[in-house]
Amino acid sequence: MMTPEQARELARLAVSMTDSDQAEALVAAEKSALTRFANNRINQNVAEENALVSIRAVVGKRVGVASTNRLDDASLRATAQAAVRAARIAPEDSAFPGLPAPEPVREAHRGVQATRDFDAAARAEAVGGIVAQSSSRGLTAAGKVRSAEQVIAVANSLGVDVGQSITGAQATVLSMGAETGSGWASFLDADVRNLAPEALGSQAADLAQRSANPVALDPGEYTVVLAPEAVADIMDFLAYVGFSAKAVDEGRSFMSGHLEEGLMSEHVSIFDDALSDHAMGLTFDYEGQPKRTVPLIEYGVAIKPVTDSYWAAKTGWNNTGHALPAPNPYGPMPLNMEMWPGEASIDELIGGVKRGVYVTRFHYVNVEDPISVLLTGMTRDGTFMIEDGRLTSPLKNLRFTQSAVDALYWCEGATRERRFVGTEEGACFVPGLLIAKFNFTGQTS
Amino acid sequence: MQHIITAALDAASLAGASYADARVVDTSREEISFSTGVVEAVEHSDSFGIGVRALVSGAWGFASSRIVTPEEATRVAREAVAIAEASATVAGEPAVLPPLEPATGTWSGPLAIDPFTVPLEEKLALLIAADEVMRALPGVTLTKAHMGFYREHKWFGSTEGAAIEQSFVESGAGIAAIAVADGEVMTRSYPNSHGGGWSQGGWEYITGLDLVGNAQRVAEQAVALLSAPYVEPGIRDLIIDGSQMALQVHESVGHPTELDRVLGEEAAFAGTSFVRIEDVGTLRYGSEHMNVTADATVSGSLGSFGWDDEGVPAQRDHLVREGVLTGLQTSRETAASMGRTSNGCMRADGWNRIPLIRMTTISLEPGTWDLDELIADTEGGLYIETNNSWSIDDKRLNFQFGCEIGWEIENGKLGRMVKIPNYTGITPQFWASCDAVCSRDHWQVWGVANCGKGEPMQVAHVAHGASPARFRNVQVGVGRS
Repeated sequence: MMTPEQARELARLAVSMTDSDQAEALVAAEKSALTRFANNRINQNVAEENALVSIRAVVGKRVGVASTNRLDDASLRATAQAAVRAARIAPEDSAFPGLPAPEPVREAHRGVQATRDFDAAARAEAVGGIVAQSSSRGLTAAGKVRSAEQVIAVANSLGVDVGQSITGAQATVLSMGAETGSGWASFLDADVRNLAPEALGSQAADLAQRSANPVALDPGEYTVVLAPEAVADIMDFLAYVGFSAKAVDEGRSFMSGHLEEGLMSEHVSIFDDALSDHAMGLTFDYEGQPKRTVPLIEYGVAIKPVTDSYWAAKTGWNNTGHALPAPNPYGPMPLNMEMWPGEASIDELIGGVKRGVYVTRFHYVNVEDPISVLLTGMTRDGTFMIEDGRLTSPLKNLRFTQSAVDALYWCEGATRERRFVGTEEGACFVPGLLIAKFNFTGQTS
Repeated sequence: MQHIITAALDAASLAGASYADARVVDTSREEISFSTGVVEAVEHSDSFGIGVRALVSGAWGFASSRIVTPEEATRVAREAVAIAEASATVAGEPAVLPPLEPATGTWSGPLAIDPFTVPLEEKLALLIAADEVMRALPGVTLTKAHMGFYREHKWFGSTEGAAIEQSFVESGAGIAAIAVADGEVMTRSYPNSHGGGWSQGGWEYITGLDLVGNAQRVAEQAVALLSAPYVEPGIRDLIIDGSQMALQVHESVGHPTELDRVLGEEAAFAGTSFVRIEDVGTLRYGSEHMNVTADATVSGSLGSFGWDDEGVPAQRDHLVREGVLTGLQTSRETAASMGRTSNGCMRADGWNRIPLIRMTTISLEPGTWDLDELIADTEGGLYIETNNSWSIDDKRLNFQFGCEIGWEIENGKLGRMVKIPNYTGITPQFWASCDAVCSRDHWQVWGVANCGKGEPMQVAHVAHGASPARFRNVQVGVGRS
């Protein structure tokens, strides 16, 4: 596995090989391993080592991109030539501002040696600890334990020259009982030493036992308490269709024409912040620009979307450092979203609900209407009735069809505790939420 | 390349593997996309590497590397064995591979004009022409036009003696017009949404799509959708076009009949299935009009090959016959659990992924109806086209799909246009309500180049043959009241 310094050297070499007005090289190296388990045994166990060099060549206002994972000089040179060839033929984009100049990037040490050293035997031991919590209770466990290191470097012909190593350790557990109950637990951290396999396995198994023999609930509008995993799904879709300067500029975002308006509850504040002490992931974007802390929603008010160099120039907003790898038809994207915490515990949120539904997580959510962020999906692995402030009957999985913006308009509280959900570059840090009105539209009988 | 595969297999055997296979995969991809008069991407990418799968004490290990040399192949094989040994510490019943005649030979997909040799200028000119037609219509806010090409060349060998070389090229393209006004976004796509149309083949497939000839209609419909009403919530008879039927088959028949899902092997991520092994031969999946096949021999389909990534020959198998479940999609290991041999559905997304059970060409076989006659036979209902969104539960029972466009049917005639109609149902009840499937004249194979499954995520290229079909008493307009 190459070091950040080696990756930067490779990126500079690729830039020097590119005969164009401007050039940029992105090096993305990864060493990762993932152990999957199902039916209380390891069923898949894989390891991968790869490195990709992607070259963006600029000729006037024409841009071409080529990439390869063959890193010898001849292959790099051929890739550079392919990028230049594409740039010479591509139509001009009059809005292209040129590649960005270097800016100071905050250094952060987010690569943990213990995670790098977490080998197949260690992963198997962790799986054993997780699975035992289910198998000892007559339950069936499935999930994964993953460890990964990514080294990302960006260089360009204007002097951008940055690199960083980040690590991520992930574990998920689905525990299933014979009486259709199931429970879920997950873990994400840069440092695998914070993984407690037995506790994680126990959390999922407890939930599976508690959710056995679920009952039906008529579709309708209910108060809900969403656990962090469910909240993260909503955040991801807000980011995907709403928080990009491209979507806002094109009129496709719920924020289009509504900046500085109150669109959600005052309990809702959403930032993208790659610079906080607890953040995971890169402190620069895939153009090598520093990631800025961006208030997306503050006390329910739509503040601003994230940008990259192209959409900053096009809209007049500052470059917030949220470029994805080129070429990027999606536009800039927040990858380090946080929702501010509230003051309650999850039990206190539940305690305030006369009659409602508790959701552990969602499954297969998709967008039906981008502007209202109208989502549909199912609940999964621990859905409960809330009655008089207590979790009572487990519920059969419910289908919801609900605008995410409207749901957050009806947010009445958040938990103090927040959790990371996702992957190391793209993690959401979210609390649990109390939402007064949430529309369930169907159920699996 | 066989000497590198041999080095890997020898090293795996020497390290203690009772079985091993190795794949070297070399891929190239080209993507060109245009949006509203501006080029968004002109990109070429290559990827090359080797992956080795090893079975030790009945447990699996896999390792991979981008460095393709005999020395690295040896190292990777040893790593795969070490990983398999770790797997064996948390093991269940040992994995067993039933005997298989070792495959040898070569296979290549159909190709008339290699798209990688077509000048970039010619490709851009076609996209720009379609884009300009769409943008010329007042009311069109955004446009999308893209094409992509994919070439795969792979070599496979196993310790059982298999030695295979396969190659194919895929081509795809599509356009979309988007109208935005008053807080609404209406999209109309051709020939399909979510990546357009895809096929094994070359430039001839792209020119055959006639993107420019369809651009005006697509633009007009996107603008018209802005002023169309939403569908009234309720229970309606539904005629679904071929492209949406392809997705309906994909989600509610293709995935639930993957045997790894049935066995719980994918439970934590994509989910399981309402189908059980003991249902084969007895489960009433749908009406007698429902016949579904899994076929890896359809020429030009994204789901076709010579052998799967376990070296099992491509074949055609029935999954549902006259509404009754008759088969499942299998691998060597899983097929044994139901007393059958593999029907060849194991494919991997590149050199750095293990093969999983993936759909081939999963098709709703054609019926006898003409579409016009079917509409004329429908007193009241909806005709809907082109997927807009999809969602289905972890057992593949409760689904909800949205389409881009629909038309009300009144007294056997298409009437008022409706915007983004959605519908929901429970898989076996929904398929039981199918009372008509259109004929082969309306049937085509739809390529789906974005089927996600597995961890780490794998994206498979699959396909579905489908023609329009009618379903009675379906819940529509969900969440629109």
